[in-house]
Amino acid sequence: MLFHTWPFVLFFLIVYPTYLAVKGTRLRLPWLLAASYFFYACFNPLYLILIAYSTLLDYTVVAIMEKGRRRKMWLSISIVNNLALLSFFKYGGFVTENLNVLLSSLGIPYAIPAPGIFLPVGLSFYIFQSMSYTIDYYRGNIERERSLIRYATFVSLFPRLLMGPIERARNLLPQLHKRPGISKQDITDGLSLFIVGFFKKVALADYLALYVDKVYNAPGQYQSPALMLATFLFCWQIYFDFSGYTDMARGVARMMGFRLMLNFNNPYLATGLGDFWSRWHISLSSWFKDYVYIPLGGNRKGTFNTYKNMFLTMVISGLWHGAAWTFVIWGAMHALGRFVTRELERTSFYKERVPKLVKQLLVFIFVTFTWIFFRAESISDAWIIITRIFSSGLANPYCPLLALTLIFSVWLYQFAYESRVKWLLELRPVRIGIVVLMVLYLAFFAPSSEQPFIYLQF
Amino acid sequence: MEKKDILDAGCSMPDARRSRKSRIENQESRIEEVPYGSNCVRLSAREWLIIGIVFSALLYFGPTLWEHIERFEPGPDYRLPYDLSSDYWLHNRYCRWACSPSPSEGRGSRYETLVIGDSVVWGHFVSKDNTLSHHLNKNAGHNQFANLGVDGIHPAALAGLLKYYGRDIKGANVILHFNPLWMSSKKHDLQIDKEFHFNHPKLVPQFIPKIPCYKDSYSRRLSAVVERYVTFLSWTSHLKITYFDSMDLPAWTLEHPYGNPLKAVTLQLPTFEDDGQNERISWKEKGIAKQDFQWVELETSLQWNFFQQSIKMLKARGNTVFVLVGPFNEHLLKGKSIDTYRRMKSEIEAWLRQNNVPYYMPEALPSNLYVDASHPLSEGYAMLAKQLYENESFRSSILCSE
Repeated sequence: MLFHTWPFVLFFLIVYPTYLAVKGTRLRLPWLLAASYFFYACFNPLYLILIAYSTLLDYTVVAIMEKGRRRKMWLSISIVNNLALLSFFKYGGFVTENLNVLLSSLGIPYAIPAPGIFLPVGLSFYIFQSMSYTIDYYRGNIERERSLIRYATFVSLFPRLLMGPIERARNLLPQLHKRPGISKQDITDGLSLFIVGFFKKVALADYLALYVDKVYNAPGQYQSPALMLATFLFCWQIYFDFSGYTDMARGVARMMGFRLMLNFNNPYLATGLGDFWSRWHISLSSWFKDYVYIPLGGNRKGTFNTYKNMFLTMVISGLWHGAAWTFVIWGAMHALGRFVTRELERTSFYKERVPKLVKQLLVFIFVTFTWIFFRAESISDAWIIITRIFSSGLANPYCPLLALTLIFSVWLYQFAYESRVKWLLELRPVRIGIVVLMVLYLAFFAPSSEQPFIYLQF
Repeated sequence: MEKKDILDAGCSMPDARRSRKSRIENQESRIEEVPYGSNCVRLSAREWLIIGIVFSALLYFGPTLWEHIERFEPGPDYRLPYDLSSDYWLHNRYCRWACSPSPSEGRGSRYETLVIGDSVVWGHFVSKDNTLSHHLNKNAGHNQFANLGVDGIHPAALAGLLKYYGRDIKGANVILHFNPLWMSSKKHDLQIDKEFHFNHPKLVPQFIPKIPCYKDSYSRRLSAVVERYVTFLSWTSHLKITYFDSMDLPAWTLEHPYGNPLKAVTLQLPTFEDDGQNERISWKEKGIAKQDFQWVELETSLQWNFFQQSIKMLKARGNTVFVLVGPFNEHLLKGKSIDTYRRMKSEIEAWLRQNNVPYYMPEALPSNLYVDASHPLSEGYAMLAKQLYENESFRSSILCSE
């Protein structure tokens, strides 16, 4: 049941009016929890066991920690448990595969059977959210949540359950505490966010996927222009796909009186890799900053250690995205990109002389290049794509002009949004005109196929 | 806009000296700090109202206005082009056109009798001027019979087509054809549990009653249900089927990367004059072997059940319904299947008689007039039309009710 499908419309048409009716009563949280669990069970009822286990574990651990005994041990139990859960479901296949390669290279005629487990949707997101609660409590940043129902709702709140944003307890739990005063503005803001997200996903991401999938599924059959365009299109596809989901999630939550954090902030206008990561998947980036980078030492122990910590954080972040070496390489490349742009930004020449647009283009080209590893099925596929981009012919790529026109329109909009002409976009006729165009496009030209979100696999 | 590296920003451990209380007190204010978004698309209630009005007008008036822009003038012996078989909006438009008063001839409606059924009525192996309705018109001496057959439609889908897209068929004479082929096996009858692709899945019941072999996702089923009630959606499907080779725009631009989608909308409905192959070779000459069909029981047949629903629905709308059963190619049957088929035929006849439904259940046509199990050659259609005209029940229910 994804946001852009009819079952969700039906689900929301039942859940929302009831929520409005009970929001001022004691039934508000039980209703939210029931709706969230039903939402999750629609994917597979067995997933409920996992989320209930993770929720109960962290709730209990924090309750024990409150008594003040062996707090560190209980925190470790929680972290190890959560990571074990994540590792088992997410990395079981990856570890087995690599062990088998090792065994084979050592000449040992034995292969460990593949576990054949499917990754439950949303696991990486709610595990991280739950872990942040226990760590924040341990650090003394938050109070213990006494109500199990409220805590379970915090972990499973359906708008953000599948793909985030990975909310912090300090932002979401207080919102679950107070009775929501849902204003007219909340509803209209929610609708505005939702329609933008819906357009990004259905009209743009799913459209671009058609060309990207065609080329990336058989990279050996395409020449340089097609491979470059497919990579360029994927760069935007993944942005539209994920930020579209986030917009819809934030929109739905807003209509219910919750304010989820901003997760994407026009990342392709970034002027440095660090800037890019403060605009892309912000909830994950800040999670890694707070719970990996800083505990590793952050930037407190000299340049070498800073870069070492950055590198480790980025590689772990890559691995979080997927259990494959392509993601590790992707993370490592971003780490190297961050080193370079960080050092460049310290020079007065780069800081003052290089035009902003050039910086933005350089970062965009670099990020687009790294997406090759993110999208390719394997390292060998990524290598084929890179070598063919630089060595094959210049055959007609047959890339739809409409797709390129749509991308450049969005890009132009974003440039205008972050420029001095932003006021132009704020004019009422412009805002209404944009929504009318989006609605018309969706009504007439939306693809009939319903593609899942890319980040669901993570 | 802040351009800090997220890892550089605030990279020290939280200040342990800060009191827990003050940190928690700040939580409430943080809620308000969440930025709205990264664009200016933020409408007020009044602005959403404007959007709502524009969109509602489009939903309501779009399809109707389109009918004035896109010309639809079916000539004699018109049938929906094969490639537009799934264009239910156009089918609905054709039904309305056929049932609407003729501006020049001053009769009650353009066609007094609508011939409804599957590819046998549509005329899969014959050109449009060799179909059953054509030969009936020839016997009548004027254009009385409209060909509303849809190639590939089966009784379960036909019931849906009549229910949701044939609401304008009211107070007309209807010849409803039943092709026994749809009961020739459990698979044809949609009874098997294994999923397989069958024609017109959007028209069959999406949830209740359950069709065992139909296992599409809930999302697609709900989408099919919504499309039945929102004319705008069936109209956009019409645009896709008619002008974009049955593809949505994104898929179409992949096939025509440098094409202008607006130019594809020619406002000319395709006619497909060459539809129908006008087959001249009979099933025997084609080398089709005799078959031992595993007929399903009438009582348990899904297709027969849906056919009964169609009859009741049409009658409830004030139509005079005349049922034509077959004629099935009995020459192709072998073994026990002939006896089973005849028993089934007599059961159908009994039900029709019991429910006061006028019908004609002709004997099989000569063997050499069939292309396959159910489709006649053009001579077969001519013979069938002649037989119908000589049939008392047909004359009294269809010809005398003019």
